[in-house]
Amino acid sequence: MTAELRNVSKVFTDPRRGKGLIALKDVSLKVEEGEFLCLVGASGCGKSTTLNLLAGFEGPSRGEVFFKGEGVKGPSPDRGVVFQESSLYPWMSVLENVMFSLQGKERKEERAMEQLNLVGLEDFAHSRPSDLSGGMKQRVAIARTLAMGPDLLLMDEPFGSLDEQTRRKLDNEVLKLWQRERKTVVFVTHNIDEALLLGTRIVLMSPSPGRIEKEWRIDEPWPRDLSDPGLVRMKEEIINMLQACPCANGAPSALIELKGV
Amino acid sequence: MDASTKGREEATRAALEEGKAHFVFRSERPRLLAHALGNAALGILIVVMLWWVVAEAMMFIRGVAFPTPPETLIALWEALRGADVNGESIYTHTTVSLSRWGQGYLIALVIGLTLGMAFGTLPRLHEIGMVSVYVFQMIPGLAWIPIAMLIFGLGETATVFIIAMTAIPPLVINTAGGIREVPTVFTRVARMSGKDDSATFFQVLLPAASLSIINGMRIGLANGWRVLIAAEMVVGVALGLGFSIYQSRYNLDFTAAFVCIVVICMIGLAIEKLLFVSMENRVRHRLGLDREDLI
Repeated sequence: MTAELRNVSKVFTDPRRGKGLIALKDVSLKVEEGEFLCLVGASGCGKSTTLNLLAGFEGPSRGEVFFKGEGVKGPSPDRGVVFQESSLYPWMSVLENVMFSLQGKERKEERAMEQLNLVGLEDFAHSRPSDLSGGMKQRVAIARTLAMGPDLLLMDEPFGSLDEQTRRKLDNEVLKLWQRERKTVVFVTHNIDEALLLGTRIVLMSPSPGRIEKEWRIDEPWPRDLSDPGLVRMKEEIINMLQACPCANGAPSALIELKGV
Repeated sequence: MDASTKGREEATRAALEEGKAHFVFRSERPRLLAHALGNAALGILIVVMLWWVVAEAMMFIRGVAFPTPPETLIALWEALRGADVNGESIYTHTTVSLSRWGQGYLIALVIGLTLGMAFGTLPRLHEIGMVSVYVFQMIPGLAWIPIAMLIFGLGETATVFIIAMTAIPPLVINTAGGIREVPTVFTRVARMSGKDDSATFFQVLLPAASLSIINGMRIGLANGWRVLIAAEMVVGVALGLGFSIYQSRYNLDFTAAFVCIVVICMIGLAIEKLLFVSMENRVRHRLGLDREDLI
């Protein structure tokens, strides 16, 4: 097992206004070595909070977070995150961005180029992030995160703001990277198709308070076909469970206030 | 068809005919620059005309010798050719003022940037110190005179002190604000990459806040220059543009005062446009936020 959330609750409070929110309630989740775990659910169900806890950006209010058997105390290069928003440093070139996260001191440029090669952007090494499209920026972000040499790759709706075609293309690239590098991936998305196409396991979360609702294993090989009867059935089931929730229409206002979503 | 836009029109037509998505044409920079300069000149002209109207009106209504634009220009020309302005050449006044300003600003830079960086990174210090900075910011230039005199007596040091004190607050406010507003995701990337606090500060926080810091430097510089008159009231020797303006009250040489005002404005404008606009453009370019102001 790579990572684990053990009876984790996460509470956000606003002492000034005297308001509190249980973002996660008693969540236990085991991330297995080498799996591609997709976290799905309506916004406000704690998907990103779960990811932030695994990354170590935030600590749990109750319970414990483990990585490779040790308690998580903060972020570390062995748990790499690909963020939802553009997170490249605009004052650095593409290559410099990748080199920034590279571990170790020797042959930095060469190794950074290798990472860019993996995402097919070696020709843009000396471009500025502002000269790239949204999809290319996220590919650089992936290359940068891989440059950290993480054992666990945490992806927080990395392609959420891209158009459908670009998203599909990048999904396939992530899949290839995962198959080649044999990393463990936790992938947050609200797009059920994306989860069905990628994951070895899908975990559905539901909001107010955030918790794990149900999970499915997918044994289909890749590339997958969304019209496959098994996947169609699974999708229907997930959608039904999502619709059953009264908060399926988005994050409750309290959460938006507290987290500034 | 306007001759100056002919290249663009032709290139557009050619691209449409050939079905190209991208095309290039001869840059119209000179034309755009001329246009911008023309508008700026028009703006200046309007201000000068207003000045002239007020001057004539005051002479008519109150019977005072309000210097008109032509009078001032002539006096400025004379001064530039070496005529005395309140006992010294305009060049001496200017050099002395610039040097005081430079010293005050340099001190302000050291103190302001250091405080700003400390306040920007340490929230507790920010809460404790920021109120005082805002209070200092509210103190008008003239109010610093008694304080400067009590601490330093009459003399250069008091003048430099006043200039520094008015330049410091915007430096602190903008530096601290810029650092505090750096997106969380930028610091998270640094932390997960295993960077320590000092690497995060110098490689991430400072560059990300650079635009705001430059803004503070620019406001601070302008504040220091504007306070020159007040600051030079406490100077011991009869030198400086600010001193000269102040002096005009006593010898009723208002034209000399206007000459000094024009010189102060021109220098301020030159520094703003030549130094800071190019500096800001360079930083904007580095941040990928290209927006080039022609003037």
